[in-house]
Amino acid sequence: MEPLDIRPDLEALKAAYPAVEIAEAATGHFDIRVSLDQYLDVVKFLKDRGFNYPACITAIDWKDRLELVLQLYKLVVGSRQSPLVMVRVDGLPREGAEVPSVTPLYPGLNWHERETYDMYGIRFQGHPDLRRILLPDNWQGGHPLLKDFEDKRPRRPRLVRHRDMIVSG
Amino acid sequence: MEQTRELLINMGPQHPSTHGVLRVLVKLDGETITWAEPDIGYLHRCFEKLSESKTYTQVIPYTDRTDYLSAITNEHAFCLAVEKLMGIEVPERAEYIRVMMAELQRICSHLLGLGAMALDLGAVTGFLYAWRDREKIYSLFERITGGRMLYNYLRIGGVRNDLPEGIIGTPKDGRDKADKTIWGFINYFESYVLPEWDDLLTNNRIFQWRTQGVAPLPSEVAIAYGASGPVLRASGVKWDLRKNVPYSIYDRFEFDIPVGKENGDCFDRWVVRVEEMRQSARIVKQALQWLAENPGDYIAPKLPRVLKPPKGEVYIRYEGSRGEVGVHLVSDGSANPYKVKWRSPCFTHLQLLPVLAPGHKLADMIAIIGSIDIVLGEVDR
Repeated sequence: MEPLDIRPDLEALKAAYPAVEIAEAATGHFDIRVSLDQYLDVVKFLKDRGFNYPACITAIDWKDRLELVLQLYKLVVGSRQSPLVMVRVDGLPREGAEVPSVTPLYPGLNWHERETYDMYGIRFQGHPDLRRILLPDNWQGGHPLLKDFEDKRPRRPRLVRHRDMIVSG
Repeated sequence: MEQTRELLINMGPQHPSTHGVLRVLVKLDGETITWAEPDIGYLHRCFEKLSESKTYTQVIPYTDRTDYLSAITNEHAFCLAVEKLMGIEVPERAEYIRVMMAELQRICSHLLGLGAMALDLGAVTGFLYAWRDREKIYSLFERITGGRMLYNYLRIGGVRNDLPEGIIGTPKDGRDKADKTIWGFINYFESYVLPEWDDLLTNNRIFQWRTQGVAPLPSEVAIAYGASGPVLRASGVKWDLRKNVPYSIYDRFEFDIPVGKENGDCFDRWVVRVEEMRQSARIVKQALQWLAENPGDYIAPKLPRVLKPPKGEVYIRYEGSRGEVGVHLVSDGSANPYKVKWRSPCFTHLQLLPVLAPGHKLADMIAIIGSIDIVLGEVDR
């Protein structure tokens, strides 16, 4: 089995979108940093170049901004070592961020985008069904994977048997 | 009187065939499903948030509890991620122990998955046979790790302890030693259990009628929906991360990738799992031969007490029992992970339910849920 080379694709991407930054990480994947307005075009470009497998989409909270990370790779039967690319959109606001949805291109990212919305509050424009997924529909407590998230629910009384006394709180 | 109104019913959250707490909303036209929508999150335990407040080693027991039927493979995926980030070399013996444990775990997990699918379809016997053999693996695991389901056995840089004396056994061990030595189990498994599964269910005509042609999944749909593992391979895509993106030492083992036909149905997914158990047994045998002859370190020497990976990011793709487990780890140089993202195969597969179910009978829904083999602990994390 031949190792899969994606460098020609990345060079073509760089030629088509000169503003895109491409770097190889020490841990083996390729980071593709794009601006928000080029994000959807770049993902479409990658899909046309054969990046057919949607691995995951998530976000990272860098405390002053959010970063969206989309992981894709080529699933080619008979190939070896298909490298992963991470399409990253940095500098999203921590509240009310909106990015275009890639679910129409990769239906497998539907729930992953919903989870990212649930956990980080990033809204995906054009998503067919953007609702909370893991948390209840009527959850009012914010987006838990943000670093400054606080659980504002009333604390449950903790019943600890301490000698003969029951301490609560 | 003719009635044409669509009926909306609730399956779950406490339905015995949903393998946990899964609620599926189903619209019915008579007996035929026209629409299905899974509702998840009943088992959400904030694994990812919790991990951010733990050290790297402390996260390992939590990974057990995501997919609790396949704990070793989860630990392995997480340890691989941290090791890649820190550049830790794992001793060869530890790698072999890990691979052997992961493949035994895969057999164990498939046994339960297949048994539960058989049970849901009415073949209670199949379930009891699966349970009998799974129990033997659990006895072995209990002697190796101390735990029966949730092991906390792998460590970053190796495993917690070496294999206990006498657990490997000899290639001549037979059925009487099935729950005492690993060789005994593998020989028993290959000579008794697998033929039994073929006779009981795979070649059983009633079972074939019940599952063939139910919920076919074309290969291009499977890829677009991010299906992986047995579900993807049952649709005829020959893709196994152990072979195609080799990690650990899988490139040293000989095994085949079983695939189904172009439009894999529930029966194909069944057959692929049975075949995968056969292949896993092959890998375990090769690992046992090596382990019997090569003593050595089981954990990397000279690891720091507190692991602080350098700043960076890693995404590990791991062939878990149910498909591609992705671990996305971000480190900020401190002792706690900055972010852990668990890409769980079951979560991704459950999206297929609204695609697969419409057009089938309500009773087939059970076969479909059984055949994509979900574990709700991993769906909800």
